[in-house]
Amino acid sequence: MKLRSLPFGLLLLYMLSGGGHRAQAADLERGRDVFATECAECHSVREGKNKKGPTLFAIVGRKAGAVADATYSDPLKASGITWTPERIDAYVSNPRKAVPGGKMKYDGLASGTERADLLAYLATLK
Amino acid sequence: MRSFEPPRRGAACALSLGASLRQLRTLALGLVGLLAGLPSAHAVPSFARQTGQECAACHVGAYGPQLTPYGVKFKIGGYTDSDGKGGKVPISAMIVASFNQTAKNLPEKPEHGSVNRNLAMDEASLFLAGKLSDKIGAFIQATYDGVGRTTALDQADIRAVHTTEIAGKETTFGLSFHNNPGVQDPFNSMTVWGFPYTSSAFGFGMGDAATIINGALEQRVTGLSAYTFWNDLVYAEVGTYRSLPVTMQSRLGLGKADDIGRLGSGTAYWRLALFQDFKKQAFNVGVFGLNTSLQPDRSVPGSNRYNDLGFDASYQFLGTREHVFTANGSYIRERQTRNQMFANGEADNQKGRLNEMRVGASYHFLQTWGATVGRFTTRGSRDASLYSEGYANGSPNTSGYIFQADWTPWGKESSWGAPWANLRLGAQYTMYTKYNGAKSNYDGEGRDAKDNNTLFIFAWTSF
Repeated sequence: MKLRSLPFGLLLLYMLSGGGHRAQAADLERGRDVFATECAECHSVREGKNKKGPTLFAIVGRKAGAVADATYSDPLKASGITWTPERIDAYVSNPRKAVPGGKMKYDGLASGTERADLLAYLATLK
Repeated sequence: MRSFEPPRRGAACALSLGASLRQLRTLALGLVGLLAGLPSAHAVPSFARQTGQECAACHVGAYGPQLTPYGVKFKIGGYTDSDGKGGKVPISAMIVASFNQTAKNLPEKPEHGSVNRNLAMDEASLFLAGKLSDKIGAFIQATYDGVGRTTALDQADIRAVHTTEIAGKETTFGLSFHNNPGVQDPFNSMTVWGFPYTSSAFGFGMGDAATIINGALEQRVTGLSAYTFWNDLVYAEVGTYRSLPVTMQSRLGLGKADDIGRLGSGTAYWRLALFQDFKKQAFNVGVFGLNTSLQPDRSVPGSNRYNDLGFDASYQFLGTREHVFTANGSYIRERQTRNQMFANGEADNQKGRLNEMRVGASYHFLQTWGATVGRFTTRGSRDASLYSEGYANGSPNTSGYIFQADWTPWGKESSWGAPWANLRLGAQYTMYTKYNGAKSNYDGEGRDAKDNNTLFIFAWTSF
């Protein structure tokens, strides 16, 4: 009996110790890693820090082409996009398809899981 | 014999006889002339200012010249990529200073130095490096050699590029006008840009014999090559070279005394490589070659032929850039047809070979702390006349290891003084297992290979 109840006990201990919160934090952690691998060469997460691409600080909910002192392609400026999570997901998935003629030299992130982690991380930047 | 000194990485081989004001003026005019000839850009902060990126975006360990995939593409793109803002001045400068110690005193006292424990300002370089127009960029270096006390044109690479689409894939076409076979290559495994990236001016290099593609022609030739890069995957290049007239070499500060002679008219360079950037990791693998003939004495007929064939590859684990591992390797096989040397009694054998292998691996933590180990071997066919004075057994064979630890405090996004302040402090130790044909008494005067072991402690800054 004791052996059978062990898994339930471990699950209870995990929940009491904040395991669910850690699972969410792990997604953010992975999202931060995805950002470092895929995005950080051209984008900063610091407010007001533009590299070749604009800062991604407070990106969620922002209108495309709205960062002062950043340079954008004409198609992106004219796109009328507001960066909702869905729009960001579509853009990161395939930038050339989402904004034809855009200047971002990025082939896209195929993994839906990694995009979800990245989005979770970007949503914290505010 | 004609021995080919390997190039000093990331640095200048300033070979001129003097640095008179006239020479400096001519050098400046020469640079202007080179630029005027075209309608209008590895480790220079002006590139960082131009792109808005930190040095770490383009360079492993946040300092050049080892390129990341981003840096590879930036170079192939003709140094023209930018953040879209104007007003960037494509000028940078670099200074290298060092402490040098060899296991045993140098065989001869250097003209400007001691037989051992030399403290030196190795070089000071000025760069014109960056975008000159939307499709033209340049990387031109002029260097004052603090050891040789000379000033000369160093590495130069001027590019024109055009990007289009072929079969729905981005394709870059480019022209490169440069002065050293391989200096235009975008990959870390080509010898010009391979490890060690800087080395002791008082050291012993990688032996006295080297293949012709490994630095023998640097700065003494002009080359024009055409290249293409398709779908971020396939890189192909062909080019040709002509030797600079002696008077032009002199005007550029290179001096007349070290003229290499006249290159044959059929000099051909070629390069084919596959490249893959997976973001978390990247690799390239390729082949390259240089086929040429060289008339050592311009006033006397007779030349020697060199056919170099090289294989190279590199791998990078980049991850989140917290832990970065790299491995680079190249193997060059040179066939020599020594018609002129054989006729003059300078070589016993009309045909010979010389093979070089260079491999290295590095690890960088937080793009700040780095450790690199390299292995080099040069092996060739024996020739008692060609490899006589300073060699044992008529053999050019040299082998050894290079170890380096370095610290690069700046060059990251939030670094102090970015993107102007850049610094690398390092300690490098070169250990020889064989030198010029033997492990011991290679020069016939009791000097062993290990006597050349060199400690090189350097401070390398650019701004």
